[in-house]
Order: sequence, then structure tokens, then C-alpha cells
Amino acid sequence: MAKIWLSLVGAAALALGGGAASAADSLRICMEGAYPPFNNTDSSGKIVGFEVDVANNLCKQAGLTCEIAAQDWDGFIPALLNKRCDALMDGMSITEERLKQIAFSVPYTDTPAWFVGAKDGLLKDAKTLADVHAALKGKTIGVQRSTTHQNFLEAEFKDSTVKLYDTVDDLNFDLVNGRIDAGLGDSTSWDSFLKSDNGKGYAHYGPTLTGKDNPLFGQGIGIGLRQEDKDLKAKLDKGIASMKADGSLSKLALQWFGYDPLNPQ
Amino acid sequence: MQGLIDSLKLMSFGEGGWGYQFLLAAGMTILLSTASYIFGLVVGLIAACLKVWGGFVLRGLMEIYTTIIRGVPELLIIYLLFFGNEAAINAILGMMGIVEPFRLNEFVIGVFAVGLISGGYATEVFRGAIQTVPHGQIEAGKAFGMHGFLTFRRIILPQTIRLALPGLGNIWQLILKDTALVSVVGVTELMRISQVAARSTREPFPFYITAAILFLVITTFSTKLFRKAEAHYDRSVRRAS
Repeated sequence: MAKIWLSLVGAAALALGGGAASAADSLRICMEGAYPPFNNTDSSGKIVGFEVDVANNLCKQAGLTCEIAAQDWDGFIPALLNKRCDALMDGMSITEERLKQIAFSVPYTDTPAWFVGAKDGLLKDAKTLADVHAALKGKTIGVQRSTTHQNFLEAEFKDSTVKLYDTVDDLNFDLVNGRIDAGLGDSTSWDSFLKSDNGKGYAHYGPTLTGKDNPLFGQGIGIGLRQEDKDLKAKLDKGIASMKADGSLSKLALQWFGYDPLNPQ
Repeated sequence: MQGLIDSLKLMSFGEGGWGYQFLLAAGMTILLSTASYIFGLVVGLIAACLKVWGGFVLRGLMEIYTTIIRGVPELLIIYLLFFGNEAAINAILGMMGIVEPFRLNEFVIGVFAVGLISGGYATEVFRGAIQTVPHGQIEAGKAFGMHGFLTFRRIILPQTIRLALPGLGNIWQLILKDTALVSVVGVTELMRISQVAARSTREPFPFYITAAILFLVITTFSTKLFRKAEAHYDRSVRRAS
């Protein structure tokens, strides 16, 4: 078997050798392709969204050839470390925990966290975080797995049951089906849910939370990079800074989110 | 009624319709399954022969292979092969001074992973079938002056295939569904496209139902093919009726 194994790996390596190595300048930017409005797939199979526009703009400025590739959220960071991807963009917050493994560009956007619950339900009178706390005591809150929101709930909402979901959409389904009392997530992704048919009976309540309210929410959303790629980080940081300065980043945010999270009015 | 019309529009081939993407993805599922199945059959047949006729070491190694493949969740095997192989190859290339990262093609690694999984199951099916061939026939082959491989090709293999076919048909159906697991590594097959479409449009049910129907169509047709193959290999055997 050892021999079979070796020869198979060898054969695969030979067969792939030609097609595998890509041009040195081509930057592979990975996205989930299913996280509107940051990035989602259209019916022709193309990935579109806020992050695609930001990426294309940055690549043009830095003179890089870029390629947008789909990668599932599962295995997102391993894909970067294994060099399947050179950069990650998926509404990923900059956190201390992730900084141990990978580097981040400066933030290109930020999305505050919202609590969402049924209209006129448990949360209807909640204004401050303390109100939300009191209203959800002993209740079940849904949150997406491996997110800053999960870390926050587990640290701060010890009196509530925290239920974890693989995707925001699974969370939304359970909220509509009444299996959870409230959910915590990104304002941008809530926004598109609340505007959809399913989200009609729901609204966001309580405060708008960011890294300023609690460090567990991270330091904004940045491009995930390998720690050793310092040149690339410098190039992208410079590009993001100039997009902030000339207003093009704000314009894209308005186009995709309807507001600019970095400069809220 | 309006809801149904909207759903049908989502699956059309026109503007804003996902029909073409789904057709491509169904093709990918069939291609991926067929390639991994063939790869698995080759691995399974070789491994089964080694299990039956191999020496102590080879037999032990095959035992380890089938035990691991059948005892560990498929998804875990796919993760290990997908990320593990690449890390290993890159480490070796790095030692040789090549820093250009080596990216395995998703399709090939998918075929490799699912093929190894189906190979593990196929090994046991083939082994059982080989051992069912009466020993007397092999002796008869020898008496006619056939050497080892000729006996295998003329006497053992045709009967093995006949006996193994029902079990192999079962593995085919498992493989067809296992390819859905490869979606985690970025191959756009039926499962992946239905998830992406569902989440991008926030309309899950039309897409999931379409995917389920397409899977059923594929399995129904392939079951028919296996029936035909079974009938073909059974032609020399009289059925007790």
C-alpha cells in the first residue's frame, strides 16, 4: 500500500505540476461567495459584492493582477496558510485571537453588531445593553459560529443560552421558526434579512455595538494575510488609506450597504 | 401561485435564472463521482488481491487502510487529504528551495479523496467476492496449465465482478452523495451550487428541492445501468425459479 500511495501522490504531482503554479504576480483573493452584501454569487456564477469592488480597486492601485476565488468559510484560514489563497476577504473582523495566526490589513470597513428579535417581542423596550441583558435572561440567543459575536455572547451573556449556527442563514431560519428568541450578528447582514420577506416580522433592538464598546468585537474588518507577506500588507494598507482619502471606499459602502460604517452619520 | 412562478423563474435558463449553473454543477457531480468511482475500483481491486494473496506485511497494510477509511468520517479524510497533502508537498518543495506555492487542483484532490474512500469499501466487496470463487476452479485452472495471472484473468475476475456488482452498485450510490462533501474544498458540484444560490438569493427551498430532484434523477438512471450490468454478468448463470 505504501508503494501505491507514493506512486499515486507522485502521479498526481506530475499531472498537476504544469497547471498548478500560477504567475508570480497573480494574487488569489478568497471569498465565501455567499455572504451578501459583502460578496455573493450571481446567477451566472460570478462573485459580486462590496468586497469584490474594493479588491479590484486595490489591485488596480497597487498594480497587481488579482483573481477572486471561492472558498468555504470552513477552512478559510487553513487555505491562506496553505497558500491556496493569498488574501482573505469575507467580512472578517480583526481580533487578537486571529492575529496570532495571520496578519490583517488596516480595516476597510466595520460592521457594528445588532440584536434582532421579533417586532413587539421580548426586546421591544430594550434601549441599552443592560436592558437587552435583562430581557434575554434565561432565553436563547442564536449566533454564527467562530465569530466575534460568539465570543462576546459567551463572555457577557452567561445567563442566556447561546446557540451556535454554521451560517447566518441557518440562524435566520431558526429565528423565523421560533427556535431562538433573539440573534446577534452583523448589522449589514441583518439589514438584508430584515428587508427580505422572511424578516418582515423582525427588527433590531438595543444598542449598536462595535470594538469601542467591547474589545471582543475586534478592530474592524480587514483583509486576512499571511504574517510573512509584509510587502503585500504594506501595498494593501497604502491602497486602503488612499481609498479612504479620495472617498471611493465610502462611495462603495454607500452603494452596497446604504450607509458608510466607517463614517456613520 | 405567484410564489411558485417566482421559484420557477429562479431555475430558468434566462436572465436571473440559475438553470445553467445547476446543469454545470450536475455535470460536475457526475464527472467527479465517475472519476472517483473508477479510481476507487482500481484501488479496491488491487487492495483486495493484496489482502487475499499478499504476504504478512502487505495484508497488514491493507487492513490498516480499510480500517482507517471505513472508521473515520469521510469529511475528516477529505480535510486531511486536502490540506495535509498540500502542506506536505509544499514543505518538501521548500526543502528543495522552491518557494512557489504548489496548489493542487480541487477536482483532482476531490477525486483522490473520494476515490480512496470508495476504494476502502470496494476492497471489502471485492475480497468477499474473490473468496467466494470455489477453490476447485482455481485448481482446475492450474491443471489446464494456466499460470497465476491467467487463472486470475480468466477464472477469478469474471466471477468476482458478477458477485461484486450488487455491492459495487451500493458503493456508487454512496459515492454520489459523498461528492457533496467535496464542496468544502471549493469544487462547484450540486450541493455547493445549491448552498451558494440559496444564500445569495435568500430563497433556499427552490434550490434545495432542485438539487434533491437532480440527485434522484442521477441515482435512478445509474441504478438502471447497474441492473443491466448485473443481467449481463449473470447471463452464464441459470436462475433458480
